[in-house]
Amino acid sequence: MALDDAARAALARAVGTENVIDDPVGRRAYECDGLTGFRVVPDLVVLPRDAAAVAAAVRACAAHHVPFVARGAGTGLSGGALPVADGIVVSLARLKAVLDVDPVDRRATVRPGVTNLEITAAAAPHGLYYAPDPSSQQVCTIGGNVAENSGGAHCLKYGFTSNHVLAMEVVLPDGTVVTLGGDSAEQSGPDLRGVFLGSEGTLGIATSITVRLLRVPETVRTLLADFPSVEAASDVVSDIVAAGIVPAAVEMMDTLAIEAAEEAVHAGYTVGVPAALVVELDGPVEECDVQFAQVKEICDRHGCTRLHIAGSVDERAAIWRGRKAAFAAVGRISPDYFVQDGVVPRTRLAETLTRIRAMGEEAGLRVANVFHAGDGNLHPLVLYSAAAGETDRAEALSSGIAELCVEMGGALSGEHGIGTDKACSMPTMFGEVDLATMDRVRRAFDPDGICNPGKVLPTPRLCGERPGRYRPHPLEESGLIERL
Amino acid sequence: MTRATPTTVRPADLGALRDAVLDSAGTLGVTGAGTAAAWGGTLAPVDTVIDVGGLTGIITHNPGDMTVSVHAGTPLRELQSALADHGQQVSFDAARVDVGATVGGLVATADGGPAALVHGTLRDLVIGMTIVLADGTVARTGGHVIKNVTGYDLAKLMHGSYGTLGVVAEVVLRLHPVPKATATLAVDCTLDDAAAHAGRIFDRPLDPAAVEWYSTGSASGTLLVRMEGTVDALPRRVERLHSILGAAADSGAWDAHAAAVRGAPGQAVLRIGARPSRLAALVGSLPCATAAVGLGTGVATVALPADAVADAHAAVHAAGGTSVLRDRPDGFTGPAWGPPPSAIALLRSVKRTLDPDGRLGPGRLAPWLQEDPR
Repeated sequence: MALDDAARAALARAVGTENVIDDPVGRRAYECDGLTGFRVVPDLVVLPRDAAAVAAAVRACAAHHVPFVARGAGTGLSGGALPVADGIVVSLARLKAVLDVDPVDRRATVRPGVTNLEITAAAAPHGLYYAPDPSSQQVCTIGGNVAENSGGAHCLKYGFTSNHVLAMEVVLPDGTVVTLGGDSAEQSGPDLRGVFLGSEGTLGIATSITVRLLRVPETVRTLLADFPSVEAASDVVSDIVAAGIVPAAVEMMDTLAIEAAEEAVHAGYTVGVPAALVVELDGPVEECDVQFAQVKEICDRHGCTRLHIAGSVDERAAIWRGRKAAFAAVGRISPDYFVQDGVVPRTRLAETLTRIRAMGEEAGLRVANVFHAGDGNLHPLVLYSAAAGETDRAEALSSGIAELCVEMGGALSGEHGIGTDKACSMPTMFGEVDLATMDRVRRAFDPDGICNPGKVLPTPRLCGERPGRYRPHPLEESGLIERL
Repeated sequence: MTRATPTTVRPADLGALRDAVLDSAGTLGVTGAGTAAAWGGTLAPVDTVIDVGGLTGIITHNPGDMTVSVHAGTPLRELQSALADHGQQVSFDAARVDVGATVGGLVATADGGPAALVHGTLRDLVIGMTIVLADGTVARTGGHVIKNVTGYDLAKLMHGSYGTLGVVAEVVLRLHPVPKATATLAVDCTLDDAAAHAGRIFDRPLDPAAVEWYSTGSASGTLLVRMEGTVDALPRRVERLHSILGAAADSGAWDAHAAAVRGAPGQAVLRIGARPSRLAALVGSLPCATAAVGLGTGVATVALPADAVADAHAAVHAAGGTSVLRDRPDGFTGPAWGPPPSAIALLRSVKRTLDPDGRLGPGRLAPWLQEDPR
């Protein structure tokens, strides 16, 4: 059922007529997020100018049973901001105020439309920064980061969005406004803030977010090392960890990813080597000196063929430019690609990559790998040509890789979220009872099912009556856990 | 209605735990080592007590992945001792770990220690969990990898739930390496001076692992600053800190700090959270017998005369903070919790959804979870 006139009028009253988009061309701009394969044109888009208008819009939705989808910059990669049929999009793009930066208690309070990097920019004059750093940090918003519990290259040492958000003002799906979290980590009662973080926009809309700020590290050391095999590079990562070193970041790229990145940004990577590692340490100078020497020694021990140490801020930036550009750069060596986001236990990295290579060969498709090696979060990029009719095969391979990660004892998604993309794969990781329990929690927040419906949890509408077949979790098969 | 003495059941595995919930009727209390039995709201008389103390031991430890899964009744100090053989630890040091607190109990009470400055609390270290709901549902959340955004994080709901939403059965934790070297500097000073010292420390790139002040009675007390690092580098970092504080090394003082957090029998012990910059003045305004104050975390634990508890809740709330009563004198009937959070209706909705019959932990979050709020 399309949006009726009463609902339209209520929404216009809530946000002001001038802040409503209802022409078809304007609405089409909101039909998808970073996962462009799924598209739904919303019935209406509202762009509230302040938090009160967001609450008013949600109250109007609740009164008229209109499903709504919150949207930040639309950079999400799992279809979390995909509009729903007969529903509206609530864009937070205009809530862009930095409300407070407190250098004494080291925190900032911002509106959801502020970008990740703008928080760091606001904190920088005080020698502070906001730690979680998704690759899209120049454009992605903190509201979206909250929804996805975004990570980034440096979350191995510093944690994820969930570890850095102290408090949020949240509009619940019935339009009431509450505060989740507070002035310190010591909060009374169950951690509702923690449940909300990473709930992919299905439990409400955050309209104000207070984040922790960290002191900029005294020093940063970055190296780029080439290896004769992915296995050798994986062994380096294991040895660094075994030495008791917690690096700020450890990133790995394979031949294809290096080739693509070099073609795009000429960052000084060696084209043709089987694997490259970016290792970064940060902290007090004395500690970095000691541990950096250890890391170099470990690299040498595993047959490193070239070791490049960033000698300046510019050289470090170049190394990171290559790493962060790798995603988009793959577009230069392939007309189309799918990105996966599975996680495996770090000790099973090499084995997983071998399996992925074999799966790619079997499907007759190339797979480029660029990933957070320190925490086992893979980003296999399945390269294909839609024009050559490879889409279905590529999609199957991509899903197969995500499910392989679960089979390895890992997870479907490390930072991109489940959204629309992987909802139907959820039964490979969780049993029916687990998913039903998650759904109960969702109903406690959103009894009418109007807040970003159809995302995260599999539904018959999205996945068919039997949303994916249940397969025992590997820990279950090995007798380590039981499904009661 | 009078109740007979509750039936106590001590399941030995997950299946027996589930059966214990299913086979009992009426209300349920959950107990582990009993180290926080008196914390929060007082448990109302219940029909059945489930003792998870029989659910102990490591399920899996993957040293290379730095993760471990344990049964919830495992005392954390036993787990730490097993992990130490691998040079690993759960980076968590709440004061009651030393007296045998279990992993599940530490999660359910949202406890934390000085290490929270860098590593947060168990909320930040738990990466997966198995819970048993009041209807016998056994649900898993999270997994065995550090980085994971797959599905809702139900473990967060258990953190601070005081046994009112579900029974924690298994917990998966992320681990950290045991620091190669540790040093603590101690300065005898007042709380105000300690706060000023802390400001100077946090203004510099010294990366302290913990910054706490404690006092066992007089107006003065001791500031403790813990540094962790490598054997080769730490001495020079400690020198830098020493040049600011002019302090002496005293690593044994952490035991005295933990004792101050635990409080003495018969004391009313209040746990407080507030903006770090407001904490010193707030604690200074309370009639504390003893106090332990996290100058970076904004978390303090103070012992008060019983008749000062209600006013202390109000003072903390007025400063924008939160408070919960831990141990208290026998017969104390004052408020355990401060004013309810703004999300109280949501919290009740979650309670109704997961435990519609109000079986679990009646009274522990009282008066917030009135089953019938007429």
